[in-house]
Amino acid sequence: MQVYTKPKSIKENSSFTFCSGCDHGLVIKLVAEVIDELNLQENTIAVASSGCSVFLYDFLDVDCIESPHGRACAVATGIKRATKANKNEKFVFTYQGDGDFASIGLGESLHSALRGENITVICINNTNYGMTGGQLGPTTAMGQITTTSPTGRNRAYHGFPIKAAEHIALCDGTAYSARVGVYNIKNIINAKNAIKKAFECQIKGLGYSFVEVLSSCPTNWRLSPSDSHRKIETELTQIYPIKVFKDITND
Amino acid sequence: MIRNFIFSGSGGQGVLSVGIALANIYMLDDKFVSYCSSYGAEMRGGAVSCEVNVSDEELLCIQNDKADYVVAFNQKSLDKFISKVKENGTIIVNSSLAKIEKTRKDIKYIFAPLTSDAMKLGNIKFANSIALGILMKLCSNLSIDMVNCAFEKLLKNKKDLIQKNIDAFLFGYNYAI
Amino acid sequence: MNQKELLKGNIAIAKAAVKCGCSCYFGYPITPQSEIGEYLSAAMQERELGYVCAESEIGAINMAIGASSTGAKVLVSSSSCAISLMQEALSYAASDELPIVLVNVMRAGPGQGYIYPSQGDYNQTTVGGGNGDYKIISLAPSNVQECIEMTYKCFYLSQKYRNPVILLLDGLLGQMAESVELAENTYPEIDNSSWVLSGAHNRPSREIHSLEPNQDKLNRHILDLNNKYKKIEEEVTDWEEYMCEDAEYIITAFGSLSRHGKAVCKYFREKGLKFGLFRPKTLYPFPYKRLNELSKNLKGIIDIEMNLGQMLKDIRLAVLSNTKISFVGKPVGDWLKRDELIYAIENVIKEDYASIH
Repeated sequence: MQVYTKPKSIKENSSFTFCSGCDHGLVIKLVAEVIDELNLQENTIAVASSGCSVFLYDFLDVDCIESPHGRACAVATGIKRATKANKNEKFVFTYQGDGDFASIGLGESLHSALRGENITVICINNTNYGMTGGQLGPTTAMGQITTTSPTGRNRAYHGFPIKAAEHIALCDGTAYSARVGVYNIKNIINAKNAIKKAFECQIKGLGYSFVEVLSSCPTNWRLSPSDSHRKIETELTQIYPIKVFKDITND
Repeated sequence: MIRNFIFSGSGGQGVLSVGIALANIYMLDDKFVSYCSSYGAEMRGGAVSCEVNVSDEELLCIQNDKADYVVAFNQKSLDKFISKVKENGTIIVNSSLAKIEKTRKDIKYIFAPLTSDAMKLGNIKFANSIALGILMKLCSNLSIDMVNCAFEKLLKNKKDLIQKNIDAFLFGYNYAI
Repeated sequence: MNQKELLKGNIAIAKAAVKCGCSCYFGYPITPQSEIGEYLSAAMQERELGYVCAESEIGAINMAIGASSTGAKVLVSSSSCAISLMQEALSYAASDELPIVLVNVMRAGPGQGYIYPSQGDYNQTTVGGGNGDYKIISLAPSNVQECIEMTYKCFYLSQKYRNPVILLLDGLLGQMAESVELAENTYPEIDNSSWVLSGAHNRPSREIHSLEPNQDKLNRHILDLNNKYKKIEEEVTDWEEYMCEDAEYIITAFGSLSRHGKAVCKYFREKGLKFGLFRPKTLYPFPYKRLNELSKNLKGIIDIEMNLGQMLKDIRLAVLSNTKISFVGKPVGDWLKRDELIYAIENVIKEDYASIH
């Protein structure tokens, strides 16, 4: 009989404070499991950023710093370079939302990938600015209704969304770039494997590794948790395909 | 003793190097020195100048209205800096590239064909060392050893150039002024 | 034995940073401070230390936040309009209590302005552009030798008080070379093992964050910071007095312009007028108390600045109604020369006499 236990890297006596049906908790749990499996807990410095992702340090039991909005990859770069310079290199990953990574922080994000910084990025893509109440973000799909796109995202007013994993895969410094989902068991397992693979890329010193996680935001989408996952499976994966876009370990 | 120098010319004439050399020579003589050049976008378009100040005590005036000695390596810098020479001060004009013409009565002019003399010595780039020689003669009381030392310090990676520059310097130093 | 070297202010700062164990530099080119990054690009690489030519000043200062959180000594340098870009991160770093040394080699503003020297960032430095109740310690050198000494001090103070520190100098000083001695850094090392992020090995995990949804906790954090600032004000405030003992007039100035102020004092002393000069070496904390004491028996204070009177506000706060305060300044370009200052100050004194008679 297998007993399911909380990952060691999840803080004792903590319980997730995210909205019901939100995938943040699930993804943080997957990250914690991978940290445990790779025995990284005591050697990790995590970078949280602004938005719902900032609460990472309330749950994950590793050293953690919060970066200014969008600057997680720059902060992670500083940590990696400094610990390397002082001969005490740490495992460094950022945990960011899509607005943080691909809008306000796109410069820092893209350039850290181009430099091939040996860090890992977990980016939650829930197609809106969740913490501020569901405004249009860089990943909001065409036609999607948000509080700042009341008639749906359109070209004239809002332009087009960004496909982060595809863009990051184009950078020469990127070792691994994948988009995953967590809307069913099979995908959850694949997502965890992708996170593990990304972490392993950093351990091997291969360069920048990136996992974009298609995630639900039931509160702002005004949908039930199960309808949210159905929306991801049927609609969002059509726009944002679940795929590994780059993996230099396969080359 | 406080002395102010201005070197001016265009890029490639060694304007900044000669300023640095002068500052180093006085530094070796245990003087307080400051050296300041035009920089960044100011230099685009080719005009270059620098100011060297020398003093026995802590240098207070790091930017001055006027200088005791001005070296103008071309006509443009002559026109620009002639007004910066102090009354009874001296201007050294590179007569290879500027007109021999005295527009002020209250200063001393030294016209020297720096560029053509440098070419005679084998390299157009020695013009600045010749000017430095003339200048040192005017300021006197500095030992040639110090000049040797300064060149050795500044040209440590280009040993072959040290003697050639010293030769150019001496050529200037022995000018009949 | 130390040998004299002819060093530009910018290079002197870079060399001093290496001397006191700076292990990371992050920057983005901007005139008139690019030599700092240029020098360190080679120096850091040679020593296998941290160097990133960042994508922007925003990137650079945030890399500094990351590096500092691990206990590394970090240097960032930039200039005026680009320091503006860093204000958000400075507010974070102050809240997170992260030691970062930031060099601002001032150019003229507002906006892009130009690369001419100026002292236009006094307000930006001392008041700051970030949000919230925070303070950044700032030191203002007046010559290249002091650039070296103050770089050492900046690293020390930033580590000791766990606070960002700005070294504020003008483009003239950054670009000017002087004969200096690169002495050893004699400040003690500060133990940071109680707070740095190094991996939760044999200890509970640590968090560094400015976000605090708990109102009481946030309140307490801000008050704690404020208590630290009070301590800094008591312990760090530093200034120079030049011929102030019997002075009837005091010139106030900061940075390299203060040297011209000293030349003016000498001139007036020779004329029989008792002039002195007061120079804050720390802009925050500002030496209010000492200037207030000095101002009690004066005929007047003349504040000189290469801006339109930014430090003047602090002079007024210090002097209150003790004596008359005049201002001589200009915003940009060639420094106010000794003779220009003498001419302007003679006019000020004339007014004084006129008002007496």
